[in-house]
Amino acid sequence: MRSIRTVAAAALVTALALLLAACGSSSSSGSSSSAGASSPLSTGGYKSPLTVALTGGKRGGTLQVLQEIDFEHLDPGIAYFSVDYAVVFATQRPLYSQKPDSTEPTPDMAEGPPEISNGAKTVTVHLKEGIHFSPPVNREVTSEDVAYAIERGANPDVANPYIQSYFKSIEGMPAATGGPIKGIETPNKHEIVFHLTEPKGQIVADALVLPLTAAVPKSYAEKFDKNKPSNYAAFQVATGPYMLKNDAQGKVLGIGYVPGKSATLVRNPNWNPKTDYRPAYLNEIDVKIGGTSAVLGRQVLEGTNVVQNESTVAQSVVRLAAEKFKSQMEISPGAGSHYIALDNKVGPFKNIDLRKAVWAALDRTAMDKARGGELVTNVATHFIYPTINGFEQAGGLKGPQGPRFDFNAYPEGNMKVAEKYMKLAGYPSGKYTGNETVTMVGASGDPFEEDSQILEQTLKNLGFTVKYTAVEASTMFAKYCNVPKEEITVCPSVAWIADFADPQTVLNITFNGTTITPTGNVNWSQTNIPKINAAMAAAENVVGKEARGKAWAKIDEELVESATAIPFDWDKQANIEGSDIEGVGDIWNVGEWDYSYTSLK
Amino acid sequence: MSSGAAELLPSGGGALEFLDFGGDVVARSPLQLFWRRFRQDRVALVSLAFIVFLVVVAIAAPLVVSLLGLTGPYVQNLNLTDSFGSPLGPSLAHPFGVDQLGEDVMSRVIYGARVSLEVGVIGTGIATVIGVVVGMCAGFYRGWVDTVLSRFMDIVLSIPILLLGIGLGAACGVHGCVKGLVQPGLASIIFIICIATWPYIGRIVRGLVLSMREREFVEASRALGASNLRIMFREILPNLAAPIIVYSSLLIPTNILLEAALSFLGVGIRPPTASWGNMIAQAAPIFNTAWWFMVFPGLALLLTVLAFNLLGDGLQDALNPRNAR
Repeated sequence: MRSIRTVAAAALVTALALLLAACGSSSSSGSSSSAGASSPLSTGGYKSPLTVALTGGKRGGTLQVLQEIDFEHLDPGIAYFSVDYAVVFATQRPLYSQKPDSTEPTPDMAEGPPEISNGAKTVTVHLKEGIHFSPPVNREVTSEDVAYAIERGANPDVANPYIQSYFKSIEGMPAATGGPIKGIETPNKHEIVFHLTEPKGQIVADALVLPLTAAVPKSYAEKFDKNKPSNYAAFQVATGPYMLKNDAQGKVLGIGYVPGKSATLVRNPNWNPKTDYRPAYLNEIDVKIGGTSAVLGRQVLEGTNVVQNESTVAQSVVRLAAEKFKSQMEISPGAGSHYIALDNKVGPFKNIDLRKAVWAALDRTAMDKARGGELVTNVATHFIYPTINGFEQAGGLKGPQGPRFDFNAYPEGNMKVAEKYMKLAGYPSGKYTGNETVTMVGASGDPFEEDSQILEQTLKNLGFTVKYTAVEASTMFAKYCNVPKEEITVCPSVAWIADFADPQTVLNITFNGTTITPTGNVNWSQTNIPKINAAMAAAENVVGKEARGKAWAKIDEELVESATAIPFDWDKQANIEGSDIEGVGDIWNVGEWDYSYTSLK
Repeated sequence: MSSGAAELLPSGGGALEFLDFGGDVVARSPLQLFWRRFRQDRVALVSLAFIVFLVVVAIAAPLVVSLLGLTGPYVQNLNLTDSFGSPLGPSLAHPFGVDQLGEDVMSRVIYGARVSLEVGVIGTGIATVIGVVVGMCAGFYRGWVDTVLSRFMDIVLSIPILLLGIGLGAACGVHGCVKGLVQPGLASIIFIICIATWPYIGRIVRGLVLSMREREFVEASRALGASNLRIMFREILPNLAAPIIVYSSLLIPTNILLEAALSFLGVGIRPPTASWGNMIAQAAPIFNTAWWFMVFPGLALLLTVLAFNLLGDGLQDALNPRNAR
């Protein structure tokens, strides 16, 4: 799971189909207006990962990619950012991965679906034969390479960011430091078995779509992993259709990747298309790093052979594309959610009715308009967002209904309902008359500051005294919102995107009281409700997509009823391409371009 | 003693009796002489008029906004943005357009004048008082007092003030500093500006006092038994009025710009309080689609700084004609 900059994702084709059906769409046949206007998957007539053609692209050519920011990590064992994933998933093959228009796991290196057995305490995966590493390793991939890839994730010098979140139940994982893990067994070259200490087979199986499971050859990588930190990324080998350009010794750094400047992906000569579902149309992908997002966006719109790869495309570029280059913009729904974290533990918002009053008074449509309007947002009414399993069970677009949720019924805000809850909270005038000041720390920059100011005005209208400070987003998290002892009453700029489409990845770490930590805490509202904690513990062990969706949707409803935080936006991501590009984005990776499907016209 | 020219004119009789002016000779006070010269400087006069206008508008901001039929500076209305959330441009109802939150830019520019003038005038006033007192002490007492105070001024001048502002903003932004005593906001900005600028006045005053303390009128005053404090503040200080006024008037635009810079960098005045600096900062990312949001506060800042600079030049010319351009 990650905060706003990082991504992964997956969900269920069935869930998507249900959503599309519920919205009266015409299925994912390629229509550019498949989703109705009220659909959370609606993209306003713009193409989306759900509607573009995945077959029939022209083979050959070089794609230019412009991106403002550098990659964070290109090591498959460390990568945890949507921009990184665009390269990692073109060069690496995890056990499972997702097609661009789906959040359903598709066997990649695996031969078929994972087998969950022994009361959900064993997960078995069989590997395809004939998958080879790129030069200079060249040999066939075995299950031991997958085991090593996961084991090295626990190495402090690799420090995979999500390994303990999803793979902790593997026997021996909590104490692992990079060496062999007792619970990972490789009976033969093409079989890997995970033995779990708890019946969490479903979540482990779902997490096999993460790039941590991309094979790493131990005999080759071990010497790089002994460095502090590991520099395997600079010498990495590929299993996917592309590889970062390297020399005969396998060196990538300075050749296929120049930090802050460029990355060059060329075809992997050892890739066997018969073992892969990807078409891999392009011959080469040249990534240029640097510049200003808004300027790059305009260059791309007016250019050829080029796409822009950003975590967020500038609002001015989205507007320009909408006005003049409509066919060159892709909108990807299911790009995460934003919510306001109200401190449930300290300060005035310990009082549930005060939280509900703020929720009722807040104009969430205004918040979303400040983020770019309907084209790139939906007003959020609960926490599980579109494309995630459980979204519909949790109320879909409208959210949970009924008198208990009247504070959630007015996206444009309703002061009468807010006053009702202010009175219930013990403030008969309908205004807060307590002496506690609301300390609010938001991220600086557009649109975070606008959102913060709308919230600040709402709080003032309810009688609160607000002390608002805007700081760099990284500072906001590292120094304030992620540190409970700072006692920040309101963090208005927090966001979450799932690692894959299981609802546990949306709700557990962010609202489970047992996950609160002194630093690096992402349970920003410090929600710690025993009943909800217990429900989450039970839901973690539920097996089966439908059952999991239902279980976590119920938890979602309880979180809304407790007004633990105020969700206000479900994001849609805009992506920009040149006029001669058949760009294909990944729905599961916030719409980032999929280089294995994109082609030149 | 005066720095003006009145004392050169005859007060009646004496060696100049042989001159026939053909009428009564009227002595002019230094103020009259200053005004006579100043009013001939049309550029300075226009600048003065603009500043007076600005002060009036700033003081009467609520009334002005109301009379112009504008919405208040903190009234958010997202209906005044387009479907992409981009603000709408100038119209009859909103002559300067609106910002991303639908707040009226003209009304925010008007309220922003308050911040700029408060910072400019109050900050400069405090810095001037500190600078004059320290500079006079250093220049008058000389010796170790001068050494200590002058080195102290050197040290203060070496402080990178923007970095100090950014540092204070970062360190004190959320919970404040010194047990909450130092909080971000107008007072902190004025404090930073005072720290940054008083030594400039102090150095100038010190230099002037060093030469003036040797003049005859000071000797005479000392011979009459005047105390040091009396000599400093009753004899020397009035003679420093002209340079102090000139340098102070030139310091005001510098301080206004410093506030704008700190607010632009996000460590000065924070939204929703309107400040030209923070308005320009907010407008920068959307300049392509909302030029008015940057142009109008930028224009206000430019004209104000220009007016104070031109007024300062005019004052210098009028108060010190030997240095006139």
